[in-house]
Amino acid sequence: MSTGSETRLAGSRFGRAPLVAGFVAVQVAVFAAAYLFDRPTLYAYFVVGSTAVTAYAFTRDSFAVVTATAGSVLFVALGLPVFLFVARQQPGLVAEKALDPDVHRVLYLGVYGPLLAALFSLAFGVPLAHLLAEGFPGQPLVESLVDLPLVVPHSVAGIIILFGFGQDGAFPGLSVLGTMTGMVLAMTFVSAPYAVNATREAFEAIDDRLEYAAQIHGANRFQTFRRVTGPLAARGMMTGGLLAWARAVSEFGAVAVVAYSVKFFYLPAGERVTAQHAPVYVYNTYLQGGLGESGAVAFLLLAVSAVIFLILRYLTDDAATGGMP
Amino acid sequence: MGLYADVTATFAAEGAEPFTVDAAVDVESGETVVVLGPSGSGKTLLLETIAGFHAHDGRVELDGTPIHGRAPQDRGFGFVFQDYALFPHRTVRENVAFGQRYSDRPVADADRPDPWREDWPTTLEPAAVRVENVPLPNPDTLLDSMGVGDLSARSPPTLSGGEKQRVALARSLAVDPEVLLLDEPLAALDVPTRQSLRDDLADVLAGVTAVYVTHDRTTARALGDRIVVMDGGAVVQTGTPEDVFERPASPLVAAFTGANVVPAEDVPAFRDAVDADAEHLAFRPEHVDLGDDAATEPRGTVERVVREDATFRVTVSLGDATVEAFADAPPAVGDEVGVSVPADRLHPC
Repeated sequence: MSTGSETRLAGSRFGRAPLVAGFVAVQVAVFAAAYLFDRPTLYAYFVVGSTAVTAYAFTRDSFAVVTATAGSVLFVALGLPVFLFVARQQPGLVAEKALDPDVHRVLYLGVYGPLLAALFSLAFGVPLAHLLAEGFPGQPLVESLVDLPLVVPHSVAGIIILFGFGQDGAFPGLSVLGTMTGMVLAMTFVSAPYAVNATREAFEAIDDRLEYAAQIHGANRFQTFRRVTGPLAARGMMTGGLLAWARAVSEFGAVAVVAYSVKFFYLPAGERVTAQHAPVYVYNTYLQGGLGESGAVAFLLLAVSAVIFLILRYLTDDAATGGMP
Repeated sequence: MGLYADVTATFAAEGAEPFTVDAAVDVESGETVVVLGPSGSGKTLLLETIAGFHAHDGRVELDGTPIHGRAPQDRGFGFVFQDYALFPHRTVRENVAFGQRYSDRPVADADRPDPWREDWPTTLEPAAVRVENVPLPNPDTLLDSMGVGDLSARSPPTLSGGEKQRVALARSLAVDPEVLLLDEPLAALDVPTRQSLRDDLADVLAGVTAVYVTHDRTTARALGDRIVVMDGGAVVQTGTPEDVFERPASPLVAAFTGANVVPAEDVPAFRDAVDADAEHLAFRPEHVDLGDDAATEPRGTVERVVREDATFRVTVSLGDATVEAFADAPPAVGDEVGVSVPADRLHPC
């Protein structure tokens, strides 16, 4: 799809990187001006208009102009709120929240809980994904079950977890209401489909004959997984884990039902503390302290998530291109 | 001794009729049996079934020992795939050495190749005289013998098709297989590469027990000690290349091996030359002699002349039947020619 315009851009006398940088610089400058003059509406129009003009200038292709312009409308809906959200933060309030030990605990829990959920999803989702990629009788039934959490409203997911694992549930000894276990179970319920599906796609992309080649030359199925299919699907597993982690970080409904407040072992303090999962805490702050305070907390959560996401992305790219064990 | 397989396996694909492969192959020790058949004849599925990749009924025996209950890794085979199937995340050398770590046998030293294997891989000892703990061939020596020793540190996706297939061949020989299974190893290669690799394959196959699947009759004739012709999942003829090419069992085999097939009643001159009461007569184009002697029967009209390497392929119409022949000095299109075939070259089928 993109090759046509890429070729054209590459063929012009500018390199592509400076072009992109220039476009971004113009956008930032116009946004800053619109914000300073308190007219963000103007920037929304500018995004659509400048996209159309840029598309025309570089492709002279009316179809490309239409797709780019239509796409930029979605950008106004998705990107503009984030820009305004970041621009309108009060630095003092953000700094105050950043130094608040309560917020530290929330951020710790908001990263650590989803990490456990993602690891849990991968540990049992990778074998399931391998099975699904190979195919087996009754597969459609299992596929529906795996995808079920995607269509269940999240508060309903929380209720389901309480019925399944709460009092009178499958494991009476297990305490889920307000515990780390409950929070991780709720997060796993909503995020495991992402881990399974991304990993499954990676397994399906591997030619059967590579598995055959490994086996006929002496590797049993475990060794084939360890040395051939596993490494070849490693990137898919990392992507699946990342998606599951990101999904769990953003989970509000299921966690709010199962573990509104969570008692957990807080490593920096070396003791058990009580805190709320970050989205729950943001909502709570919004109800009690208003938009400003909750915005500051939300900003911190967004920043931490973005940094972790970028680090993991960088590491997975490295793992995919670099040497494998 | 050698490999014996008589297997039945059914394959179901979505939206297609189930396809059943029911075929028997018998390979003597040291022999190369070529399984020849058109696309969709089930020859690759047969090979994969013998290898143990698919659930199947029937028997697979190696030197008299049943192995059909074993997993692929315990059957003692090497396998060369049409599309190479090299591990893309490992270097060429790691690919070749892949199977050796799962063997109990040591690996030969590169500097001091095992004396009785000096001329490896052209004279692999047959399974019967193989001794336990005889070292497996050294991966570097193997790559050298395949002419790709300088590629050992490369990554497979950066190789050409011919290089990939040489590496894949080295990988399958590195485990010193009892039987080498080859699935159209030349099919994905361009013509010059194919010819040079076919020559090297002939050297390798001279010393191993092998089953070689192909749809290419030229390769089959060049490499096979015996040929098994398959169609529709079943064996339609088994024999020496001479048998299959000169004495095809059916018009279908005749057509697929490139022989002329004519209905006997359409060419009375040929029918009268053979005693047998046959529906069709098959004969190879290379035995057809085209002459302008007016007494030769039958007579036909030249329809097409096509240059083929050093010779010409001439298509002659005999009314309802068509005959192909080779001629160094071809007649012109539209000429009337006499078509003569020695009576002992006419095969009823």
